[in-house]
Amino acid sequence: MAINQDTNVNLMEEEGSEGIKSQEMLLNMGPQHPSTHGVLRLVLKLEGETVVDCTPVIGYLHRGIEKILENRPVMGGIRYMDNADYLSPMLNEIAYAGAVEQLMGMEPPRRAQYIRLLVGEMQRIASHLVAVGTYLVDLGAFTPILWTFRDREGILSLFEALGGSRFNVNYLRVGGVLHDFPKNWLKECEAFFDQFEKNMAELEVLITGNEIFEARTQGVGYIDQQQAIAYGLTGPMLRASGVNWDLRVNRPYMAYREVPVNVQVRQEGDCYARYKVRMQEIWESIRLCRVAMDKMPGGPIGTRTPIALRPPRGETYFAIESSKGELGVYFISDGSEYPWRAKLRGPSFVNLQVLPELLRGYKMSDVVAIMGSLDIVLGEVDR
Amino acid sequence: MRISIVFADDVGSQLLHGIFSWEFLQFLVAFVSFFGFVLTSAALLVLAERKVMGWMQDRLGPIHTGPWGLLQTLADVGKLLLKEDIQAGQTDKALFILAPSVFLAPIIAAFAVIPFSPYVGLPGTALATGIVYYVAMSSIDVIGVIMAGWGSNNKYSLMGGLRSAAQMISYELPLVLALVSIVMLTSVLAGGNSGIGTISIKEIMDFQNVWPAKGVGIPVLDFIFQGFTPWAWFFLVQPLMLVIYYTCGLAETNRAPFDLPEAESELVAGYLTEYSGLRWAIFFLGEYGNMTIVSAITTYLFLGGWSGPGVNYLLGLGALGWGFLGNLLAVTYFITKVYLLCFVFIWVRSTLPRLRADQLMQFAWLILIPTTLFNILITGLIYLVISSFGLGGFTNLVFMIVIAIVNWAMFFAFIKIVQRATTATTRRAQAPAIRAQLRASSGAQLPERAGVPGGQ
Repeated sequence: MAINQDTNVNLMEEEGSEGIKSQEMLLNMGPQHPSTHGVLRLVLKLEGETVVDCTPVIGYLHRGIEKILENRPVMGGIRYMDNADYLSPMLNEIAYAGAVEQLMGMEPPRRAQYIRLLVGEMQRIASHLVAVGTYLVDLGAFTPILWTFRDREGILSLFEALGGSRFNVNYLRVGGVLHDFPKNWLKECEAFFDQFEKNMAELEVLITGNEIFEARTQGVGYIDQQQAIAYGLTGPMLRASGVNWDLRVNRPYMAYREVPVNVQVRQEGDCYARYKVRMQEIWESIRLCRVAMDKMPGGPIGTRTPIALRPPRGETYFAIESSKGELGVYFISDGSEYPWRAKLRGPSFVNLQVLPELLRGYKMSDVVAIMGSLDIVLGEVDR
Repeated sequence: MRISIVFADDVGSQLLHGIFSWEFLQFLVAFVSFFGFVLTSAALLVLAERKVMGWMQDRLGPIHTGPWGLLQTLADVGKLLLKEDIQAGQTDKALFILAPSVFLAPIIAAFAVIPFSPYVGLPGTALATGIVYYVAMSSIDVIGVIMAGWGSNNKYSLMGGLRSAAQMISYELPLVLALVSIVMLTSVLAGGNSGIGTISIKEIMDFQNVWPAKGVGIPVLDFIFQGFTPWAWFFLVQPLMLVIYYTCGLAETNRAPFDLPEAESELVAGYLTEYSGLRWAIFFLGEYGNMTIVSAITTYLFLGGWSGPGVNYLLGLGALGWGFLGNLLAVTYFITKVYLLCFVFIWVRSTLPRLRADQLMQFAWLILIPTTLFNILITGLIYLVISSFGLGGFTNLVFMIVIAIVNWAMFFAFIKIVQRATTATTRRAQAPAIRAQLRASSGAQLPERAGVPGGQ
C-alpha cells in the first residue's frame, strides 16, 4: 500500500551530550497543503529544518483519463485530453490529434497548421504565466500571480471567442481545427499582445531584479546536465540545466518546420535558471505568435474526415514540446472507431521523479521553492 | 486593628483624591483611547490592507458588503465571533487557551507609553521609562507565539513557533541598538543643561522642535512652525537608523518579507494552524496592533510625533476651545503619520517575496547588528571630535550636520553592502553549478535519434 508507506520509515535517533534525545521528524506535506500545486503528498523526513529524505505520493487526482480515451470514439477523445494537463489544454489536443493524423498518414492543411502553432504558443504563454505566478506565491510574493492571471485571462477570452469555451477548449479536430477565426479575432490578438508586452516588462521589473528572489532561488535545487538527462527531464527543466533540446527544433512537427524557434537555454541549472527560461520562453512565444499571425496562409482549416473516424490498424508515437516538456501520445488502433490504447507520456510525471534528488540537504523553506520550479500539474501526473 | 483602620482611611482618602482629580480623568481617557484605538485601528487596517493590495494588484478588493465594501471588516468580525471554537485533540489545553491573551496583552500594554496628543496620553512622568518599557513589552510577545506553537501539538505550528522565537529575539537587538542612537542624539542636544538624554517618548519628540518657545512674533509663521520643524526631525539626521528600525519592526511584527513563522506556502499557517474563531481573531488583532505600535514609535522618534501646523500655537492660546481644537489637530496628524507608515508595511508586503530562515538570521547578525553598533560608535566619536574644537554655541548644530552627512553616506553605503552581500551569498550557493559549467564548457547535446516517428 503506497499510502501507508510512512509507517515503515526509519527515524534516526540521537542522544545529545546532556541526555537530551533528538529525533528526525516526519512531516506529512499535503495532499491538503497550500503549495503542493494540487493534491501531491510529500512525506518529508526532516532533521530540524533540513530535509533528509522525501517521498512523493501521487495518485490523489487519478481520473483514469487513459481508460476513458479507450472508451470514446477517436474524435470524442480530444475533449478528455483537455483535462490531462489542465493548464495547457490546447497543447494536449495538438498532441492527440497529431498522433491520430500520423497514424492515418495525413497532413492538416497549412492554415490549420499555422492556427495550431498560434493557439499552441498562446497556450504555452498562459501555462508559463501560471507557473511563474504560482512560483512567486510559493516564495511569498502575492502580487505577481494576480498580474499574470490578469494577462492569462486575456488569452482565455481569446480562446473563448475561438472555441466557445475558456478552459476546456475542445478546439482541435483530427485533420484541422473546429472553426476559423471569428471576425476581427486576429486584430484583437494583436492588441492583446501589444498590451501584454508592456505588462511583461512590468512583471520583469517586479520579479527579476529582486534581491530576495535571487537569494531564494539562485543555487537552490541544482541539477547538472548529466543528471538531468539521466532522469529524463524535458522542457524548461532540461533547458535550464544547459541542454539544448527542444522538440520544436530537434524534431519539428507541423508549422514548426517553417517557423524557426530560438531555443532558450541557461547554464545554471537552479531554480532561478528555470524561472528565467520560462520568462524567456514567454517572450519567444510572443515573437512566434506574431510570426504566425503575419504568415497566416489562406485556404481550408481542415481536411474532411468522417465523424466516425476509423484510424487504420497500427501503433504510433507522436510527441510535441508542451509547456512543461515532451508530451507524447502513444496510440494503438485496432481499426475500430475506438482507440485500443492511448498512453500519455506526461512531462510533469517524469519531471516529478527528480524531486527527492533535488530536495535532499536543502531547508524546509526550499522545499516549496524547488517544487514550484518544477512546474508540475497534478492533473497530468495522476491522469 | 487600629493601625489597619487608619491605614485604610488614609488609602481611602488618597483614592478619593485620586479619583476626583484631573490626572485620573486623563488616565481614564488615555486608557479608553488606547484600547479603542487598537481595536478600531486593527479593523481599519485590515480593510485598508485589502483595499490597498487590491489597488496594487489590479483588482478591486472587497466591494459587496456596504458601500465600497466598507463594512467588510464588521462582517468578518461577526463571522469570527459566531464561529465554533475548535480545539484539536491532544493539545496542551492550558497553553493553547492562554496563548492568544499572552500575545495580545503586552501589545496593548505597550500603547501606554504613546501619547496621542498633548492631552490624550498618560500624564507627566507616568512612564518616563518610555523606550525601555516599549522594548520590554514587545519582547514578551514571543512567549505567546511559542506557547501557541507548542500547545497546538502540530508539527507546522511547532516549526512556526520556533522560527518566530529565533527571529524575534534576533531582531530585538538591532531594534534596540537603532533606538540607542536616537537616545544619544537627545543626550547631545540636552548637553547645555545636564548632558543627560531621555528615553521618554514625549521628550524625544520635544527635542525635534527647534522653534523658539515664545515664537518669533510673526503670527503666520508662528502658527505654522511653532512645534513643527520638519528640518529638525531625526529621520534627517539618522536615516539609516530609521530604515533599520523599520526593518526590524517588520521582523518583530512577523510581516512580509519576514513572515516566516506564518509562512502560508510552507507552514500552512505556522503557529496559527490550529486556531480558529475568536482565538485566531485575537492573534490577528495582536498582529495589526503590533504594526500600529511600530509605526507609532517610528512616528515619535523619527517623524516628529503629533507635531504639525497649528498644534502648539492653539494650545499656547490657553483657551479651552482652542486647546480642544489643538488636541484634535494633534491626534489627526499623529494618526495620519501612523497610517502612512502602515501603508509602507502593506506596500512592502505586496512587493517582496519571503526570506529563508537562515538568510533571515544572517541578515540580522551579520549585517544589521554590526551596522547599528558601528553607528553608535561613530556618533560618539564625531561628538568627541567636534566638541574638542570648542565651537561654543554652534557645537550642537555642527554636530547634527556632520552626523546627518555621515549617516546619509552610510545609508547609501548600506544599500550597496546589502546588494553586494546578497550577490556574494548567491554566488557561493551557485558555486557547484559554475564548477560543473566549467567542467563541461561545451554544452551537452542530446544525440539525434534516427528513425523516430515524428522526426523529419
